[in-house]
Amino acid sequence: MARAEIARGRAEAANGTTLVVGVGLSIAFLLFIAFLNVVKNGNLASEANLLYAALVFYAGAGALYLGFGVTGTESYIKFASLSTWAGLIANTGAVAHRWYEAGHPPFASLYEMLLSFVWTLAALTLIAEKRYGVKVIGTVTMPVAIVGVVLMQLLRSDVRPLVPALQSTWLHVHVTLAMLAYAACALSFALAMMFLIQDKMKTETFLAATSIFTVGVYAAILTRFERWGGLNVVAWDADNKQEVFLSRGVRLFVTIPDLGWLMVLVLAAVAAPLALYIFALAKKNDGLIATANRAVFISILLQSLALVFFVLRARDGRYPSLDADGLFATSLAASPFILSALVGGIFANLLYLLLLWRRQDLERLLPGSDDLDRITYKTICIAFPLLTLMIAAGAYWANRAWGSYWNWDPKETWAAITWLVYAAYLHMRITRGMRGRVAAYFAVGGFAVVMFTFFGVTYLLPGLHAYA
Amino acid sequence: MALSMKTAPRKLWRTLSSIKTGVILIILCVIFSAAGTVILQRPMIDPDDMQRAYSPAMLRFLDVTGLTDVFHARWFVALLVLVSLCIIAASVERFPNAWRYFARPYKSPDDIFRRALPTQAQIRIDDEEQGLSAAERALKHVGFHSERIVRTDSFSLFSERHRISEMAVYIVHASLLLIFLGGIVDALYGWRGFLMLTPGTSSNQIEIKTGTTKTIPFSIRCDGTGEETYADGSPKKWWSKLAVVENGREVSRKEIVVNDPLSYHGVRFYQSSFGQTGKLDKLTLDVTPIDEKTGKAQEIALSLNQPVPLDSDTTVELTEFIPDFVVQDGHIYARSNDVVNPAVHMIVTSKKANKAVNVWLPEIQGFAENAASPYIFQPKDLKTGLFTGLQVSHEPGQWSVWAGVVLMAIGLTFVFYVSHVRLWVVPVIDARGHSMLWVGGTANRNRDAFEQKFKDVVAQIQKDLKSKSAEAAEEPKAAAIRG
Repeated sequence: MARAEIARGRAEAANGTTLVVGVGLSIAFLLFIAFLNVVKNGNLASEANLLYAALVFYAGAGALYLGFGVTGTESYIKFASLSTWAGLIANTGAVAHRWYEAGHPPFASLYEMLLSFVWTLAALTLIAEKRYGVKVIGTVTMPVAIVGVVLMQLLRSDVRPLVPALQSTWLHVHVTLAMLAYAACALSFALAMMFLIQDKMKTETFLAATSIFTVGVYAAILTRFERWGGLNVVAWDADNKQEVFLSRGVRLFVTIPDLGWLMVLVLAAVAAPLALYIFALAKKNDGLIATANRAVFISILLQSLALVFFVLRARDGRYPSLDADGLFATSLAASPFILSALVGGIFANLLYLLLLWRRQDLERLLPGSDDLDRITYKTICIAFPLLTLMIAAGAYWANRAWGSYWNWDPKETWAAITWLVYAAYLHMRITRGMRGRVAAYFAVGGFAVVMFTFFGVTYLLPGLHAYA
Repeated sequence: MALSMKTAPRKLWRTLSSIKTGVILIILCVIFSAAGTVILQRPMIDPDDMQRAYSPAMLRFLDVTGLTDVFHARWFVALLVLVSLCIIAASVERFPNAWRYFARPYKSPDDIFRRALPTQAQIRIDDEEQGLSAAERALKHVGFHSERIVRTDSFSLFSERHRISEMAVYIVHASLLLIFLGGIVDALYGWRGFLMLTPGTSSNQIEIKTGTTKTIPFSIRCDGTGEETYADGSPKKWWSKLAVVENGREVSRKEIVVNDPLSYHGVRFYQSSFGQTGKLDKLTLDVTPIDEKTGKAQEIALSLNQPVPLDSDTTVELTEFIPDFVVQDGHIYARSNDVVNPAVHMIVTSKKANKAVNVWLPEIQGFAENAASPYIFQPKDLKTGLFTGLQVSHEPGQWSVWAGVVLMAIGLTFVFYVSHVRLWVVPVIDARGHSMLWVGGTANRNRDAFEQKFKDVVAQIQKDLKSKSAEAAEEPKAAAIRG
């Protein structure tokens, strides 16, 4: 879906001003289709409809932001902004509806967390745009929001009663703070990246960074590589819309044959630009960089292929498992992390291409490097106290639910690591006067740790935080 | 030689209090904590799984280095202690300077200071008094309280706000130490355990995680336990009615649920699990005689191993209860303790005939002689035993932790959002002999916002001066007209 939007954004951008009309018509068409559905069902303000409207508007905004990114036509921004507002309003409706139906703030399941996350992201985009004048930020955040809403369609969405351990106000406090803190960290990361662009960091260094990220993504996916080239995914119980558990906390994995080989192939493809970059650096041969850029293009195609195959094979199908006899069903909903990792990889590479082709426009439109440096620091000044309070609220909740405020479970430990990394940043900045490039690297590294805490710990390490 | 003896501790102190050491220690903490989440940890993982995951040599290496239990290893604790020492040293090293700022504010700036201050401005004035009072009014206008500093040869103004901000970092560091202190106290004197109770029983024996048992000076009695479920069968609420019994007397009572523990003398009891013991509490049966002459139809309740008379000659005794039975190779086995597929074994005895009949419900082929029984049994209601699982913990250090958390929240607020702003106003004579009002200021953070504020203050003073001189110009005119 996101891929299609991006592709559409690209294709229509070539025709300049027709983009706004095109996007407007698409939105109108999609809303019309939705309206027909509504007439059939007779329920206008259902959560699904509101979410659908949000998706349509976010997609429109994403296309317009990208169109702006590619062509530099500034009037697109205004329309993109309006579309984001509309999406945010629909999203707010969905959140409110959910809250009212469930009787608790929407943070209890992955679906509800995504709902709140997308809302926060859209709100922050508008704030960053209006208050700080960082206009192109929607190019980054809107595709993420689109992916979030699409993922939500796959997840279990019925209001589910809370199990006893989750019936606590402190849980809501903890998760709200986590959302806010992580969103602030994400913003500081985006700002640090923009700083690096304005600080005249070489485009090929960005190439290396995106390549390392993508290689990391595929390496993480391949931790689920199974003998004979299969890829392990979690089994999915379609009737109850939940993962299949062998025993408490132990999920049942099924093996999709051959998909592992495809992932290995794509890993090789995404590693190619990195290898070429290192080679170019060693040989001092700039011609190789051009080849590396071409390799990025090829890797995007292969990554899209991997995504398509993954979606086709994991969407629904029955596969054997090593741990139990018989065939088990799986679904895309069982693998939200692989899915977001695949989409994230493509997205990072597309952003690199955007930088490669439109660097001058970006430099013209972004605030100055000094401003970006300062705003990055200020964002971290907001993120750090939120992180602190998040950890404290989590500890207090754990103390009430399990009788211990600190268990050293992996999620807790990684939250503490995140806190330490940002604490180091603040000490270096305040007492050592760390500025500019080093500070930006620190902010980027801090966000990498945040992402690992949020996704990596759940995907790669065992622990208590099974539901988040 | 004597010199090096003297400098060695000094050097050590320098190293300990430097920011570089602090950051290196933070990085070490990060690396080892991360290792503790990647390597399987003994307290959380089954020993068998550990053996499966690593080769024997690897496992031995990991065990010896403490990497299989990083967070309780001596060297990790030593690292945390070192971090604490570093925080203390860094704070002590820098504190006196900050304290000077805090305790003895620098109120009347000298020449050198005035020249070096980056944020300053000069305003032309007619005389000292007029300038100073205009500045006073202007400062009041933007919300600053100012005081007049009188020195032997000069007057000046000093104004400041949020002096506490200078102390903020020390508040945060102190709060961190409080949290560490709480953690250390709990590591030394705290304990965690488990207590399983069935309704009606009481106990003061807590099973500690390490496998030992701890006796607490009072007992906990369970007066009832239960579960509420949602319509779909998933658990909604687990509750237990608990009473604290001390010296044979009930001293406290509370119904606990998940997230709401009972606390008595620093020991907390948390609802952590709930379930069926798989033991029979009471079985209610409808009994009908085959021959109506021998007895009458009745309802009876059976408990394990307690014979109940059915008539003058016949008694029935429940001898076995299997919560989840399965028949295999001519034997009856219990598959689990969950009451899923229950079976009961009763023996109906007739005294006169000296005959005992095995009755099974349900009738299991090969075991049951139900047809030979003089009575027919129809099960009506089955009550099985429930148990409540209580997590027990004693954490005397937690109050220090919470105090630390609150203090840290306060400290961080001051660190990030409150800046110490100082403003000085001094009347001076410039190089050309004009009377000038020197205005200068600093802020310890958020400098761009302060610069704007400073500009506002200067503009306000100028505005005030202009309106005063306009008034002054008007007065003589009015006098002239009257004259």
